[in-house]
Amino acid sequence: MTAHTSSSSSLGLISSATAISQGAEAKVYYASLHPAPSPASTTETVDVLIKHRFHKGYRHPSLDNSLTKSRVAGEARALIRCLRCGVHVPGIRMVDAAEGVLALEWIDGKSVRFLLGGGAEGEEEEAADSEDSDVAEAAAQEDDTDPLSEYGATQDELMAMVGAEIAKMHRGDVVHGDLTTSNMMLRHPRSEKGLQLVLIDFGLAYTSTLVEDKAVDLYVLERAFASTHPASEPLFASVLRAYQAGMGREWTAISKRLDDVRLRGRKRSMVG
Amino acid sequence: MPGRTRKRSPLKIPDRPYIALGLEGSANKLGVGIIRHDTDGSTVVMSNVRHTYITPPGEGFLPRDTAQHHRDWALSVINDALSKAQISLHDIDCICFTQGPGMGAPLSSVALVARTLSLLYDKPLVGVNHCVGHIEMGRQITGAQNPVVLYVSGGNTQVIAYSQQRYRIFGETLDIAVGNCLDRFARVINLSNDPSPGYNIEQEAKKGKRLVPLPYTTKGMDVSLSGILTSAEAYVQDKRYRRNGASATDGDDIITPQDLCFSLQETVFAMLVEITERAMAHIGSKEVLIVGGVGCNERLQEMMGIMAEERGGRVFATDERFCIDNGIMIAQAGLLSFRMGYRTPLTKSSCTQRFRTDEVHVAWRA
Repeated sequence: MTAHTSSSSSLGLISSATAISQGAEAKVYYASLHPAPSPASTTETVDVLIKHRFHKGYRHPSLDNSLTKSRVAGEARALIRCLRCGVHVPGIRMVDAAEGVLALEWIDGKSVRFLLGGGAEGEEEEAADSEDSDVAEAAAQEDDTDPLSEYGATQDELMAMVGAEIAKMHRGDVVHGDLTTSNMMLRHPRSEKGLQLVLIDFGLAYTSTLVEDKAVDLYVLERAFASTHPASEPLFASVLRAYQAGMGREWTAISKRLDDVRLRGRKRSMVG
Repeated sequence: MPGRTRKRSPLKIPDRPYIALGLEGSANKLGVGIIRHDTDGSTVVMSNVRHTYITPPGEGFLPRDTAQHHRDWALSVINDALSKAQISLHDIDCICFTQGPGMGAPLSSVALVARTLSLLYDKPLVGVNHCVGHIEMGRQITGAQNPVVLYVSGGNTQVIAYSQQRYRIFGETLDIAVGNCLDRFARVINLSNDPSPGYNIEQEAKKGKRLVPLPYTTKGMDVSLSGILTSAEAYVQDKRYRRNGASATDGDDIITPQDLCFSLQETVFAMLVEITERAMAHIGSKEVLIVGGVGCNERLQEMMGIMAEERGGRVFATDERFCIDNGIMIAQAGLLSFRMGYRTPLTKSSCTQRFRTDEVHVAWRA
């Protein structure tokens, strides 16, 4: 891991990188770094993912600076803690908190959200009298092949891996803060480390030993499942089963608290 | 990414014009609106009348007094709306009213008016979820197709997106609503409630310069606002606080009410924009629609606009006629479900203070 202090170099790296997407708060790039010179140096480059928390125009500059700095540093700290506890997370390649740049290990794989084929993504409505909608429906059905089959895992196995990974993280007292199916990736079996579930995006993570925080973390995931994968109850149930197995004795307290947390949302009907 | 699937809207184009009367009274605004859906698929706002119960500075509105206000004004506001629309109650197809969420007493007094009219004129009743009313009116006015909706008002703070015939709540406040936070702070610094405390905070904030540190509490796609209100209130007790602004003898290190309004808005709105952005990134949408009373705050609209632009998307917002609670949105949402065959029988027309956005079956969307 190299700590850069000169801001121009990390921004220079971004200018030579390929933009991939814009996430919730950062722009994400793909770049390749030259490996550190060593006796056994090869010419092979290292693929990295660069997360740039760019300046948010809508936020007051001083608020923005302090948030960006603390989030980059916090994310790096949480990742290191996870690595120490053996949780599968991307390794850190570079940190530049002042510029909001974080470079991470490149993961060859797909997000769990994609693998579950979920969500309101790309749905559109049309007036009642359209001609081509039947054609489009037929086309949509054609590419309905299960993307998971390529990874040699079933949905149930995938959910079990999710639960086990979260349990490992919580046992290390790291709370993710934004557990969604978009923030988990399945590493392709062809890669060096083999098939692995990797937790990503620790931008809202923090450390805590409290049962409350871990229960809320699970609740956030449950809500994310319900809102993106509408028929998700059995899926989330198998996540919880694996989580329970991973947590051991701690599970009883968390389970109880999770039931409390579920009752907390506003304006729920109080029938029953 | 899955292929873009286009779905057929289940809503048939009307064979004749439909007219609905909407009655809203879930908080301190009494609103009556009349809307018409024409055979060419267009929608006409025939009238939209509102009367607001305004309390003196430093006081909020209490349920009993608000209900009394609605009872006092119901008939004259309805008559006003009918004469502006130039129709009689015999011409309308259905009577829509807010069934919840909101304050119990004002809700039931307006529901009583709706039931009475329904029996007198033999018109069917349609109960409407207040939040869905906001969303449908926002979509109608702005033409946004499938936006992420930020619903911010005195009683609600939710980030909503549509999926499979429900408006699903992605994020919401864990404690108080953003409008409630702003209104209560306006009370602390004794701002007027006319036309609304939120509007006056917005005007004061324009004069503020100093950003005082306040907690920034986003939790995933949720926010927590009560701690921010407490911290903002604590600044009023700070020895640097000057209730009447800076005087000649003061140095730079002072805090004025304007600074606090500015800081409160900047912090709270940044949090709201952030959770909205998070929801947009999560579902991959590029449109944002802001609805609800706080939605007419121009600073919030501006911040949301910058965020949307940075993402290559765009923001849709409406002005105070449709943002702040009104009768027309109840008529719009009610008429949509009426056209899908939905009716609320008299025995099921009681109100509820707790009525979540995601409980409503959105039959009129694909």
